[in-house]
This record gives sequence, C-alpha cells and structure tokens, in this order.
Amino acid sequence: MFALLEDEGFKRVRSAVVPGFAFRKDSTRDAAEAYGVKAVLFTAQKPGA
Amino acid sequence: MTEIAVLQADEQAPLEGVIKGEVLRMYQEVAEHPESEFHFYHGRQAAEMFGYEREWLDRAPPGAVASFAGVGNPHLRSRLQPGETVLDLGSGAGLDSIVAAWQVGPAGRVIGVDLNPTMCLKAQAHAAASGVGLECQEGRMEDIPLPDASADVVISNGVINLSFRKRRVVREVFRVLKAGGRISISDIVSAKQLSQSIVNDAKLWAS
Repeated sequence: MFALLEDEGFKRVRSAVVPGFAFRKDSTRDAAEAYGVKAVLFTAQKPGA
Repeated sequence: MTEIAVLQADEQAPLEGVIKGEVLRMYQEVAEHPESEFHFYHGRQAAEMFGYEREWLDRAPPGAVASFAGVGNPHLRSRLQPGETVLDLGSGAGLDSIVAAWQVGPAGRVIGVDLNPTMCLKAQAHAAASGVGLECQEGRMEDIPLPDASADVVISNGVINLSFRKRRVVREVFRVLKAGGRISISDIVSAKQLSQSIVNDAKLWAS
C-alpha cells in the first residue's frame, strides 16, 4: 500500500501500525500472524496547491 | 489484503464477483445483526479499541456505533478543518462520516460512497439522526462516482483491502482529491504473499 501510494503520485506518505488491532477468532488470528497481517494508518498528500 | 497471489485474468474475474457478493453479504450482516459474532471486532468495542472519543460514541446514533466495522481510526491523522469536503470511501453504517461531519461543520460537506445502496440509506438515516448532512452514493471504489478534484480529504477504514484492484482504487482516490488534498486511511496489509487458498476463500477475504 505504501508503495502503491508513492507510485501513483502521493507525497509525504506516512504509515503507522494501528495498536490494538486483532482478529477476534483464534483461527483467523493465527493465520493473520503467520502472514504478518497488520492494520496500518496511512496518510499522504496529493501534490500541488 | 495488500499482497495477493498472482491470478490469471480469466481466473480473477469470476472470483472478484464472488468476493464482491461476499463483501456485500458480510457488511450488511454487520449492519443488520450487530449482535452477531464475526472474525473481526466491531461496534463500540472496536471503536474504543482504536481510540474513538467516548463523546463521539455517546453522541452518535447507537445503530451507527453498533455496526462500526473499521480497523483503525482515520480521524487521528485526518486534521479535518471547518468547510472542507470529505469523501468517506466505503462509508458503511456511517460512523466515520458522522464524525467527519462534526469536524467540517455546516460549511463543510461529507460524501459517502458505498457498494451497498442499503448501507447508504442507513448511513444517511444515522447522519440525519445526528443532525448532520451526508450525501451517500452507491458506487465502487475502483470507479468513484465523483468528479476530478472534488475532495479536500479522503478517509477510509478497512475497505481498500477488500478490492482485487488496489492500484486502481489508489488511482481513483488521487483523481478525486484536489491539489494539496490529503488522505487518512486505515487498512489491513500483509507482509507476506497470501496463499492461493486464502485468495480463493471469499469469506476470509471479506473478513
């Protein structure tokens, strides 16, 4: 996502992991951990102005 | 999820349709039966976990709070100003749109876009009950039904990961933003490429 935002022209791309995010069910949580799944807050700006 | 296994175009199209159907079903279920259990935390519990102000959650219609299905809090970094125009991409039951409307005030404008027209109606009803205006349009995030350069800020919460065509979504967000416009988007990413079995599992994708 970070790279996509930069590729499409956004500037000042920032990301921060969302603390506390987790899946509720153990099975989904385990799979998510195995794949490094995280919730992230992205901010960025369109150039100009 | 951000990284996906590579599918051939003729494999992707039917799967995309199945996933769209599952996404519609899943989030309508959250809106209509918020008391049910899902793979993800939702409702007030999730909103408090992500730092939504209690005052917002007390003030918003209970239905909007109970159906909240975000994965973070885009308002933490949105820096919304009075008078700004905000697009809430995947507005769902409307909690994020309502919070945005409180921040941009009566001189501002909040536009929701959601795949599900029923959710748009629900979000608008919740907004009206909150005393704020919300224009909600049925539409796909890959083809946002707004003109170029029409929004100061785009917010979104746990929605872009549901798309098979994330680059297209990001391109559309760029297009509808004004020059100098901003995004504040919470979403799910994965560090590793997902297995084909996960990609093919519409229920898991929609979660």
